[in-house]
Amino acid sequence: MTWLGWRLQRTETIVALGIVALLSALLVPTGINMWDAYNHGGLGACLGANPGFSCGNRIGNFRAQFQSLSDLANWFTLVPGVIGVLLAAPFVADLENGTYRLAWTQSITRGRWVFTKLGLSLLAALLAGGALTLLFDWWRGPTAHLDGRLDTGIYDSTGTVMLGYTLFALGLAIALGVLWRRSAASLVVAFIGYFATRILVDYKLREHLVSPLTATWKGAQQPAFLNDARILSLRATIHGHEVLSGGGGGFIGGTGKVGAAPGLKNAIFHAVYQPNSHYWPLQLTETALFAGVALLLIAFAAWRVLRTD
Amino acid sequence: MSAALETHGLGKRYGSQWALRDCTLEIPRGSVTALVGPNGAGKTTLLRMAVGLTRPSEGSVRVLGLDPRADAAETLPRVGFLAQEHPLYGAFTVAEMLHVGRSLNPGWDDESARARIAELGLPLKKKVRSLSGGQRAQVALTLALAKRPEVLFLDEPVASLDPLARREFMQTVAEAVAEHELTVVLSSHILADLERVCDHLVILAVGRTQLAGSIDEIVATHRLLTGPRDSAEDVARVHEVVRESHAERQTTLLVRANGHVYDARWTVHELDLEEIVLAYLGQDAARRREAVVS
Amino acid sequence: MALIEFHLDSRSGVPTYLQLANQVRHAVQLGILRPGDQLPTVKEVVSGLAINPNTVLKAYGTLETDGIAEGRRGQGTFVKSSAPAPLGDDFGNLRRSLRDWFGRARAAGLDDRAIEALLSEQHSSGSAKRVA
Repeated sequence: MTWLGWRLQRTETIVALGIVALLSALLVPTGINMWDAYNHGGLGACLGANPGFSCGNRIGNFRAQFQSLSDLANWFTLVPGVIGVLLAAPFVADLENGTYRLAWTQSITRGRWVFTKLGLSLLAALLAGGALTLLFDWWRGPTAHLDGRLDTGIYDSTGTVMLGYTLFALGLAIALGVLWRRSAASLVVAFIGYFATRILVDYKLREHLVSPLTATWKGAQQPAFLNDARILSLRATIHGHEVLSGGGGGFIGGTGKVGAAPGLKNAIFHAVYQPNSHYWPLQLTETALFAGVALLLIAFAAWRVLRTD
Repeated sequence: MSAALETHGLGKRYGSQWALRDCTLEIPRGSVTALVGPNGAGKTTLLRMAVGLTRPSEGSVRVLGLDPRADAAETLPRVGFLAQEHPLYGAFTVAEMLHVGRSLNPGWDDESARARIAELGLPLKKKVRSLSGGQRAQVALTLALAKRPEVLFLDEPVASLDPLARREFMQTVAEAVAEHELTVVLSSHILADLERVCDHLVILAVGRTQLAGSIDEIVATHRLLTGPRDSAEDVARVHEVVRESHAERQTTLLVRANGHVYDARWTVHELDLEEIVLAYLGQDAARRREAVVS
Repeated sequence: MALIEFHLDSRSGVPTYLQLANQVRHAVQLGILRPGDQLPTVKEVVSGLAINPNTVLKAYGTLETDGIAEGRRGQGTFVKSSAPAPLGDDFGNLRRSLRDWFGRARAAGLDDRAIEALLSEQHSSGSAKRVA
């Protein structure tokens, strides 16, 4: 059965790994350039020595060279979705065109068939997703130091979350395919679902995955602990009257400052934020969330298939 | 020794529609049974329940004395199934299809499978999707037979094949029966395809069994009675009247005779199997029409 | 390779097993099959005609009952040495009277169909007819 399971998803697995290979071919050269500029161009040293202090020129040079590339790379967050959905295709196609009946009337049990097929697609997703995770995390390194790890575009493609995303896309496509039994349609809807879920989590859920911290300070000088933090809400009051307020949605990167208007010198600022140190707790929680839902979806799909009439 | 297939009040419902209902039959080992009936009669449903693909809504089904769903691990190696669309993996080569059989069946006879493929003149490297309909059917049949089943269920195996492919397919089935102790159940809505090879018959219509038994016995006991216009009452007292029709001056009765027909009023004719089957199916269609009208 | 090949007339109304048995009888009468010759194996017959093996077994069974053939375990079915001798000049008289009869039938204006009908009428009235 292992041979059959692998043979049935051979093409899709190769394509998925091929996509990763293609991305590597694109990203490795530029990544090397970026790391080079970061290390030998002195940007890294500058940022390290003066946290929160402007390294103006060097930053400007770096951005001039790599900003557009970095912006483009924000779209790469869709790749786990493509790969996950792709790896679900063989399982759903088998159900759609009735060939599962051939496998179910040999000598192995349904359970063994389901277990092996789903197991192999999970394995492929782990492989491809894992490779993606490593590739991006490495590539994003310099930009992450520059803009802060909690910046949405950077956060999405560093750490471990990409693996979670891949598994989630796989689970969603498999679950939909089992219910609908139509591969083309299920895969498309699954991808849309992936996209929608990602947006929801990125902008609504993420900030609450780990309890944020609060802080109060006086004067317009941004305190050090806010470096590379993600500010969820910010208020400023003078003698009890509110003069500034704003929600989250934006990151204050390593070199940014909270609004330094002259009249705010005597204001009292109040912020709710996720500090840089919360990066890994947030990452692991989000990864666990996506992976956990993925496993639930796959378990549901298995249960449903076993009950097929 | 348990029957090859035994059902008691077997039924399957999808929503509010019964695909099969109240089906009770027994198919003896070593027989080659034709399961005939119009489309929608429940043949596919019955066969799927026999191999555990579908769960009964009511009643029971036993294959070789075992429950095909509850005892799947035990039953599957002993039962072969060929679904109507001859499912094969289109992107696989013929050799890879054999590999599938080998890796999924402990009782797989690889030598005979390869010999069979060679006999058919099929190149091992050819992809399944580039085979003709008849060739696909033969590959699927080879797969089903090479696991050495004791019972083989074939769902409309020749419906999509041209006459030559049909004949070749049935030849393979007949050979397999001659060579091994194999029970075969084939369904079709075309009786002519099956008549030559089968020695038993089950007629299924509107999801119920209408007639079941050995073909020899069926042909021996059904008779056509013709005579001057008269009532079927007297005949019906002794024999089972399957179909009666009245012309202005003549009455024709198709009966399942209970012993000899002694009545001098009637001329007795023998019938061929096709006539008998049509009579049962026609009678059933008439009942359905009545049910719709009333 | 089998010594003879069977054919079936599915429209004749004669049961398959009888057709097979008759064809063997006919072959023996014509000397095509001789005592000791092996009849086609069940598999050979079934493969060629796509019919049920039991039908072949039934046909061979009647041949055994009639003393024309005998089954040898593990080997097959063979024409018995005591099978009736092939038609030779022993039946010369019968042949001649048949030829005469045909001549007269034609002269009387009977065509092939009429002759066939006459023949089968006389033939079946000769054999016992079972009703149900």
